[in-house]
Amino acid sequence: MQSTGYENGAVYKLGCIFDRMNTLLALLRKELLLEWRQKHALAGVILYVLATVFVCYLGFQRLESAKTWGVLLWVTGVFTAFNAMQKTFASESAGTQLFLYTLAHPRFIILAKAIYNAVFIALLNLVSVLFFLLFFGTEVLQSVDWLQFLLGLLLGSTGLGLALTFVAGIAFKSEGGVGLVAILGFPVIMPLLITIVRHTTSALEGASATQNGLNLMVLLVLNVVSFVLSYVLFPYLWRE
Amino acid sequence: MKNWIKILCAALLIYTAVFSLWHPMAPGGLSVSATEFHPGRNEFEFVGYGTHFKEAEASLKVYVSVDSSAVYCADILQVVDNHRAIVSVFLPDTISSKRFGFAANNDIDGTIIVDSPVGQEGFSFVPGIKNAECRYAVNHEEFSGFAFPYQPIIIESIRNLMWHVPMWFTMFVLMTISFVFSIRALGKEEGRVDLDHDTRASSAAAVGLVFCVLGLITGSLWARFTWGDWWTNDPQLNGAMVVFLVYVAYFILRSSSPDEEKRARLSAIFNIFAFVLMVVLLMVMPRFTEGLHPGKSGNPAFSKYDLDSSLRSVFYPACAGFILLGYWIYRLNYRIQKLEQHNENQY
Repeated sequence: MQSTGYENGAVYKLGCIFDRMNTLLALLRKELLLEWRQKHALAGVILYVLATVFVCYLGFQRLESAKTWGVLLWVTGVFTAFNAMQKTFASESAGTQLFLYTLAHPRFIILAKAIYNAVFIALLNLVSVLFFLLFFGTEVLQSVDWLQFLLGLLLGSTGLGLALTFVAGIAFKSEGGVGLVAILGFPVIMPLLITIVRHTTSALEGASATQNGLNLMVLLVLNVVSFVLSYVLFPYLWRE
Repeated sequence: MKNWIKILCAALLIYTAVFSLWHPMAPGGLSVSATEFHPGRNEFEFVGYGTHFKEAEASLKVYVSVDSSAVYCADILQVVDNHRAIVSVFLPDTISSKRFGFAANNDIDGTIIVDSPVGQEGFSFVPGIKNAECRYAVNHEEFSGFAFPYQPIIIESIRNLMWHVPMWFTMFVLMTISFVFSIRALGKEEGRVDLDHDTRASSAAAVGLVFCVLGLITGSLWARFTWGDWWTNDPQLNGAMVVFLVYVAYFILRSSSPDEEKRARLSAIFNIFAFVLMVVLLMVMPRFTEGLHPGKSGNPAFSKYDLDSSLRSVFYPACAGFILLGYWIYRLNYRIQKLEQHNENQY
């Protein structure tokens, strides 16, 4: 952090792509470090995933169809994402944020947070897939298209990460409390959620590649839209 | 003429109310009483909707077509009233198909068709097939009066077109106004927001939300009548519900932040998000999914409706009238908001 050298505004303005990459990497490192220092929070989220899947297992014992498998996976995925998102802004004090503001352009801050959260949620969802495989097995998943499924999981997770990071930023700035993330976030991620649930169930049921490809396209477009909107709007949110 | 918008709006809405409800319906074939047909004599009741069987009894003819290859003339036993005629048809024992079509013809109503009430769907009466026993000959092919077209299942509820669809158009216009003012509120100058533009944005969004609710209510009524349920799993319906939730969230966000400047900035940012979401949900996503609404899977919304001239003559004024009404209420709402702010600032 100390060696980024962006205290000087002129240096920042002259910064080339390489420098920007450095800023981004430094910010990502900061996120990772924060996560590592709060290992209990990470453990808490994973425990949350495990508990949710286990409750599903206790209730269902065995799943009837691939559709239930997919829907349950994303119900778990969404709540996990919200859970993981709670601390993304709240874990930094106002002083830290002011400090960051003087160091880097707000676009880098949202970019770093969004990328970090997208990867984090993707990993959490992979963990939840593992738990699902552990508890429910693959007996209903006879004709799975694993590549399509994993691609969908990745794009769905990144979409959740991008959209929710931005919404968490709005909620944090409005001082509306934790509940506001859910109130603002749920409608915002709904198109993504509808598409990803449809894609996952059709990939699990082994639907045709063209139908899955179309769903993946929609997912990609939603990712790009969330990304562009947060990239353009975040500087307005950040400044005070 | 300072009030021309209001006068025009009121005139258009009165026109819409009167004509969407009083305009007559074109005649159509409603149903056939029989569910089974067998070789030999078959007696059944032909039920029409808005027809004139009694008045045009002399020219009434009823045809039964089988598998689109043969047409049989039915003998009219009794014309009960304008809507019902008891007929009997003789079918030879060479018929193998179960696909029947029924049509009636008279001088007033033209040809009216009951689409495949027995057997499989997707069959309609094909006129003009010359059959030894029955010569298909009509004097008036089309209904000559000016009326809303008869659509199976929809029937009278086609009048709802003039209420349900303009609600969504109005909501779109108001949300677009809100969106534009949100952008302008943010783009004033570095680090500042334009509070007046923010007030305009929120006033427009509030009225738009009311029209969204009205659209959901009229749509729900229509869905109950035509699709059988108050709520059906259709991408447009689910999308509309999410749009409703997004804009409710917008107002919750507004109320959660006490500081004026901050509230204006945050809600403007969220509003831009919400508008993009609305476009995605209501205009993009339904094109990719099958639904019950007409004109899905890539078509523009009205292609299937055969929006004929009688519907257009009411539908377009209805859209214009409701959009003007929305704009009018938005202006009123904006002025109320301004006055409230003014009052608050005085103390």
